[in-house]
Amino acid sequence: MSHMEQPSERPGDGIDPRGPNVPHFARLFAIWLLATAIVEPVLYFLVWPHIPPGTMTDAARGAQFDALVLTMTAAPVVIAVLEYYLYAMIVWHQKKGEPPEDGPPIWGHVGIQAGWIAITSAIVMGAFVFGTYELINTSGAGGGEGPSPIWTPAATKNMLTVQVIGQQWLWTYRYPQFGGFETPDLILPNHTKIAFHVTSLDVIHDFWAYQLGVKADANPNVDNVAFATTNETGRFTVRCDELCGIWHGAMYNYGYIVSPTAFYKWATSTEKKLAPLTKTLPKFAWTYNPSANGAGGGYYPSTDPFYEVYKYEYGSSGREGNLPAVHIKSFGWKPSQAGAHHVRER
Amino acid sequence: MTATTMELGAGTTGYRPTATRLAHPWFSLNVITAFLGAAAGYGIGHWIGNYIASNYAVVQSTGQNNVAVVLALFFGVLGFIVGIGGLNYPILKMFGYQPEERAPVEDWTKYFRFSTDHKVVGKQYLVGVIGMFFIGGLFAMAIRTELTNPTTHFFAPDIYLQIVSEHGTIMMMMATSLVVGPLGNFLIPLMIGSRRMAFPRLEAISFWIFLCGLMVILTALPLGGFDTGWTGYAPLQTEAAPGMDAYLVGFGTIGTGMILNGFNQIVTIVNYRAPGMRWSRLPIFVWSMLATSFLLTLATPVLFVAGWFGVLDRTAQTAFYVNTHGGSSYLWENLFWFFGHPEVYIMAIPGFGLVGEMLPVFTRKPLFAYRVGAAGMFGVALLSFFVWQHHLFVSGINPDMRPVFMLTTELISIPTGFIYLIGMGTLWRAKIRFTVPMMFCLAMYFNFLIGGITGVYNSDVPVDVTIHGSFFVMAHFHYTIMGGLLFAFFGAVYYYTPLLTGKMLNNTLAKIHFWWMFIAFNFTFFPLFIVGFLGMPRRVFEYAPRLQVLNDWASASAYMLGMSFLVFAVNFVWSVWVDPKPAPANPWQSLGLEWQLPAYKMPWYNFERLPIILSDPYHYGEREALPVAHLQGVLALAGAGAGGGLAPVGAVGPDPGPEISPPRGEAEREDPRPE
Amino acid sequence: MSDVPQLLDREAEEEYEIESTEGGLWTGSRLFVGAVTMAWSAVAFAYFYLRAIDRSGQWDPHHLTPPPVIGTLIALCVLLGAFMLEYGRHQLRRGLHFEWLTAAWLTALFGAIAGGFQIWQLTRLPFYPGEYGYTSVFIGFAPLNVAMILGGAYWAETIAARSIRLRAEVGPDMHLGESEHAAARHLRASLAGCNFYWWFMVLASLLFWILFYVVD
Repeated sequence: MSHMEQPSERPGDGIDPRGPNVPHFARLFAIWLLATAIVEPVLYFLVWPHIPPGTMTDAARGAQFDALVLTMTAAPVVIAVLEYYLYAMIVWHQKKGEPPEDGPPIWGHVGIQAGWIAITSAIVMGAFVFGTYELINTSGAGGGEGPSPIWTPAATKNMLTVQVIGQQWLWTYRYPQFGGFETPDLILPNHTKIAFHVTSLDVIHDFWAYQLGVKADANPNVDNVAFATTNETGRFTVRCDELCGIWHGAMYNYGYIVSPTAFYKWATSTEKKLAPLTKTLPKFAWTYNPSANGAGGGYYPSTDPFYEVYKYEYGSSGREGNLPAVHIKSFGWKPSQAGAHHVRER
Repeated sequence: MTATTMELGAGTTGYRPTATRLAHPWFSLNVITAFLGAAAGYGIGHWIGNYIASNYAVVQSTGQNNVAVVLALFFGVLGFIVGIGGLNYPILKMFGYQPEERAPVEDWTKYFRFSTDHKVVGKQYLVGVIGMFFIGGLFAMAIRTELTNPTTHFFAPDIYLQIVSEHGTIMMMMATSLVVGPLGNFLIPLMIGSRRMAFPRLEAISFWIFLCGLMVILTALPLGGFDTGWTGYAPLQTEAAPGMDAYLVGFGTIGTGMILNGFNQIVTIVNYRAPGMRWSRLPIFVWSMLATSFLLTLATPVLFVAGWFGVLDRTAQTAFYVNTHGGSSYLWENLFWFFGHPEVYIMAIPGFGLVGEMLPVFTRKPLFAYRVGAAGMFGVALLSFFVWQHHLFVSGINPDMRPVFMLTTELISIPTGFIYLIGMGTLWRAKIRFTVPMMFCLAMYFNFLIGGITGVYNSDVPVDVTIHGSFFVMAHFHYTIMGGLLFAFFGAVYYYTPLLTGKMLNNTLAKIHFWWMFIAFNFTFFPLFIVGFLGMPRRVFEYAPRLQVLNDWASASAYMLGMSFLVFAVNFVWSVWVDPKPAPANPWQSLGLEWQLPAYKMPWYNFERLPIILSDPYHYGEREALPVAHLQGVLALAGAGAGGGLAPVGAVGPDPGPEISPPRGEAEREDPRPE
Repeated sequence: MSDVPQLLDREAEEEYEIESTEGGLWTGSRLFVGAVTMAWSAVAFAYFYLRAIDRSGQWDPHHLTPPPVIGTLIALCVLLGAFMLEYGRHQLRRGLHFEWLTAAWLTALFGAIAGGFQIWQLTRLPFYPGEYGYTSVFIGFAPLNVAMILGGAYWAETIAARSIRLRAEVGPDMHLGESEHAAARHLRASLAGCNFYWWFMVLASLLFWILFYVVD
């Protein structure tokens, strides 16, 4: 279709009685400039401080700033598009009472098309570069990075490790640097780097410490690590953010950021207080097996030929430390006679 | 019309009488025998399942025989397909018989039969998707009812989750076929000048399978429902009640229908275009159907296999999604979203296509940058295969890949932007006619703008850490799918009802429907962005009391939104059946080939003579433009849109339409004109 | 507007539509292979993904494998079937109807045997389905493999049956390999697609044979 490239040569062009000489573009640009000039400062000065999730941690602050930048980038785009549509609806519609007629046959405009692609590409690439910078700069932006995180805080010397354990339908927390005691209370010291090691005992949960800007899926058998550095004292909400069964909606509690001294006092006293209980818990590990078989408690073992092996290694109920599979091998298992000849040797 | 031309592809041989043809209509296969077959199949499957598995230890210890449930559902679907006659031809084919191309039954019962006329299938789909949409909508009303209060409950938590899951699954399945099913099947042969779809039996079977999928999903409720949401994450999936089997079998069933439907459409578009219908003349809607169909055909098999693994985990006790036995719950997340993200665009692209098709008609201008628009749809389709992990930004997998998926996800907004480019370019110095379809188009652009921009928030990892899994995401995809696709769809329903039924919908009721739906939609979902940003996760039945005002506002608006569809239903029933108003020929003065047929009641082979396509259908404003096609021995509607003498702006206009000479061979057929 | 092209005459219309159907069978068979490829990709993805992440050494610690002889026979049957179809197509072009038919029936037979072997193999497994990641993937693969192979056998069978009936209807002198009769042309197009699919099956069988029986 060669006619796309030569709009002016189409027959019938210029049948718009208002003519192509009306400076539509200049008008649109002026209105856009004015609206943008009003909206952008409002966003920066009035809206920014109220953007969730607040500034309790560096991750939250990063997310807040990121949301601001995205909003300030998006606002001119939204204004331009909406303004254009409104303008078109007001100016370029078929007037009542006038005989119906057609618009000018404009098939395209190479400059506008190229410009459009260039501008949207530039915005997108800008958003990508900025987002990546923010992601790395805030050590993963508070998101779960899996068992071997690649963006970690620069100095990990005084980092507090908190293990977050999800189960239907409860959050508990273990503090390995304090003897590995387990508690339903999430207390964090202020001005401290925190490493959340999130895991689950049954199905997938999602640890969402809303005001901390931290979110990490709790997968069974996975140690999902997220980082945040606390900035302010106060209370925050913890919710489960991944559908985990019928009481998912009720799976939430609160945590507190307190001064480092108050935290230390709480942690040491709790460690002492819970010491007898901690002894009965499984030894601290990055993940746990509720039964040997993950989900569905009892679903697999019943017909599993290796059930006895698993029971021996992991225990039939309760949580046991996660033993690597090497143990099964060392147990000296021999394949059943029927299938023995199919077993390949290395 | 000679018999040989009608036996398209059949040649002159191969005709054999089938049981359907020989028997009296009342004793031939139809939807009643289909239900009988389904019931029989269900019973047989259940019996086989019990026979196989009732002595399994897991069945005896849990009292839950998933093997029986899965087999019952599978054989139920199979029985339905047998009962409707869907397997007649595949079996006859084994004995060397050739398909028989003949006129379908000409009374109302054709809508309840295995019809291979693409126009009948399109209408069947239309009723099917709208019915499914209303069922899913009732579940949405129930969700909003539960969320009117943060702590007082209307439903028990398990019932609530069943409702949420049913709503999500039904709507997702409905939306994948919402446009491709009814409008794709009905319009594509008419738009490309073909007498048929490439595989009419596959087309018919895809509809009945679609219907089976809906029924299978609904059987989840008596089976105890499923509480995983439409995403069905394992391990919750593995341990869920038997309703989960219905979810997996249902997705497999409807997935099969989706594959067949997309497959058929691609082959039709590629191979059955009329002489002269070059790629550069293809209507933009056909381009969108082509892109969508590629996604349907190539992405859905992955879902099928993922669901198959899930079924095996629950029945054969494999361990695909069981971490401790060498499986991984991440496997489901990867496979599901590898399908799931293309699926989102399966729902978006048809909306783009419809809007692109309607805009030129109501702006009376050519479609701006046609090629860029088509390229945009294919760009979206292609990129959508490479973005799936943006659903898993906080799941703990592949942290190093996050920038990549952030990039691909944000890149997809460039081709999506093309849709705005063609829209805004077409509006430039246009002569907009504010008909109801046009208003829906403009509303689609408004809604999708919000949906698209908020999508960028979701793609940005640091912001996504806060909004992932929250009501923000929920509002985002309702803005894109409901605000985008559904608005375009309803615009198209108003636009194409004359073509489908020969009747005109009431314009006043249509306008009431539009404004009601548009306002209620935005009132419902815009506050939910805020609710999500303020910390409300999805699929919860309890939330922070500080969010109650916004939630109540959304609930009240949702009821209004639900009621707006009653206006549509009343309008449709009234204008099509109760008090029908025959539509004038080509009421919108469209140049599209589908509007140039001599009468709304078309013969089953559509075109008396194969049309010769002369140009693309967007030559508005060109007085000396070629007509769109050489049709029926007359040149079709040379420059129909240009100049005066046209109907006044509005839905109903007593426009006599252009002179149309009666088709040849008139006497050989039944009356092709509307009553 | 005298330069407007005229309508096709009836014969040309018919020819156009026959060509559409031929092209449709070509496109359809390629597209079908594309869809099946995506399904197999999902299986292969499961294989490689579970193998790669291998939580707690549970992918395949004991190197279990389904009976490899049966597995090899399945792949061989598929290969033979594909060769047979290729050979039969060649004979069809030469007009040797009996040879073509024999080859086509043999193809269907090989497909049926391969599918039967695959089912039989499932009853001879030395492992429990959910034992390890490897065993799960194999259990997921095998029934899909049955469906793929029996699908190919069905396709070949319908073409063979069609060619018999077509000659019965048109006359025994019909040269299916060269006839311009619409039904013969469709049959050839369908055969070409079927042939393509069989070679694709060979490729898929080979890939999974390597994955399941060769790779440790």
